[in-house]
Amino acid sequence: MQQKLAIGAFALALPLAAAAAPVNYDVDPVHTFPQFMVGHFGAAFLHGRFNKTSGKLVLDREAKSGTIEITIDTASVDTGPHELLGRPRTRDDHLRTPDFFNVKEFPRMTYKGTAKWTGEWPTAVQGQLTLLGVTRPLNLEVVHFNCVPDPRTKGKGELCGGNANGLIKRSDFGMKFGIPAVGDDIRLLIQFEALRPL
Amino acid sequence: MEQWLNDPMIQASLAPFTVALAVAALLFKLRLGGLAAIAGFCTTAYLAGGLALFPLTATRKLLLLGLMTPALGLLADFAFKATRRTEIILGAAYGLASVWVFWSILSQKSGIGALLQGGGIAVFVGWTVGFAASLREDAVRAGAAGLALGLGAGAAAVFAASALLGLYGMGLGAASGAVLLVQMVSGRRMHAGLTFALTFGALGALVAAAALVQANLGWTELAILALVPLAARIPVPEKWPVWGQSALISSYTLACAAAACIVAWLAGRGSPG
Repeated sequence: MQQKLAIGAFALALPLAAAAAPVNYDVDPVHTFPQFMVGHFGAAFLHGRFNKTSGKLVLDREAKSGTIEITIDTASVDTGPHELLGRPRTRDDHLRTPDFFNVKEFPRMTYKGTAKWTGEWPTAVQGQLTLLGVTRPLNLEVVHFNCVPDPRTKGKGELCGGNANGLIKRSDFGMKFGIPAVGDDIRLLIQFEALRPL
Repeated sequence: MEQWLNDPMIQASLAPFTVALAVAALLFKLRLGGLAAIAGFCTTAYLAGGLALFPLTATRKLLLLGLMTPALGLLADFAFKATRRTEIILGAAYGLASVWVFWSILSQKSGIGALLQGGGIAVFVGWTVGFAASLREDAVRAGAAGLALGLGAGAAAVFAASALLGLYGMGLGAASGAVLLVQMVSGRRMHAGLTFALTFGALGALVAAAALVQANLGWTELAILALVPLAARIPVPEKWPVWGQSALISSYTLACAAAACIVAWLAGRGSPG
């Protein structure tokens, strides 16, 4: 009798265990863009973004925990315009050299972080950014986050995404060229989406 | 003052020129005037990006090798009399050292790609250093070669999209120009030695190589820059005064540098990012 009760209790608990298990999501490169803002000659703030990203999001909504890993292709930096406009090279060409992102030597930058929850969703990420071979703490504020059934899979898959902001000093990573004409403070504005595979 | 020192034009011209001029003038009689090249270069490197060496990236290895070179040159100048064989050995050593400098990038390429680029860079650096070392007995020719190699590599690097490497090259050119100016004004040749010849040869070649490996400079520009130390060997009338010889040799070397810059400019115009 006791054995039957134990099996029954285990069977009832199975779905709960499954719901509480961490769920893996693949970062959607089509809808994930780390963007940055940097001061230019003390006048305006220039916007740029990276066009190629990959990574993984792991969420455990029951345990209110999660991790994120994002790898950014530094050569995909895009500040436009792509025409020369009288210059010998474009600004993005310049950004790819050792003056800034040094993409031949450091083709990737990575961010690994742990989500901090307030209520239903993560509201912050504490992590480490590795850029130009230097790893420094980077905490992101998650200003928006939500998970919804993915309409492209008729609701079978799940789509989680949001927006996060952060701030770094590029000189902390050894990127010192052009300071102060090109600002040291870099504001990060990250939009990300991740899909749970079917 | 700080705003003034943050100006790239000051960092790459006036600041290294002034420091190198002071070092060359002060150490002229001690036969150590060749240290002006590294003094000027370091001034630019410090002002433009700092002299931090870690993490040891390719650009920082370039700085490290550059900092060690005048010490090696000084040692060689005082320890023994360099010969043709010394030039070949130094060229080969710096060619190998250039592979070490760019190893972190070469190692990310495919086998044949790494071999071709690494081999090409080693030959270019070895050639340039070897022929630069051959100018050690004539500070006028060495100064003219350093001026053109620095300015040529620097301006070409700017056209190849790297302003930082551009500043490094121009700083070296400005420092070599100061060495030349001291001789033109005094009317006397100074002692260049390997202290000066190795410094401008190694740093000029490595800056140009870095602009190829890490930015958008092409092999054609490198091949033209490799002609600079050869152009500095073209005979000039021996009875001419030092300033006249300096001007004439500089016109030869600067013509090579200008040609490399024009090719770099045109290459950029043809391939918008």
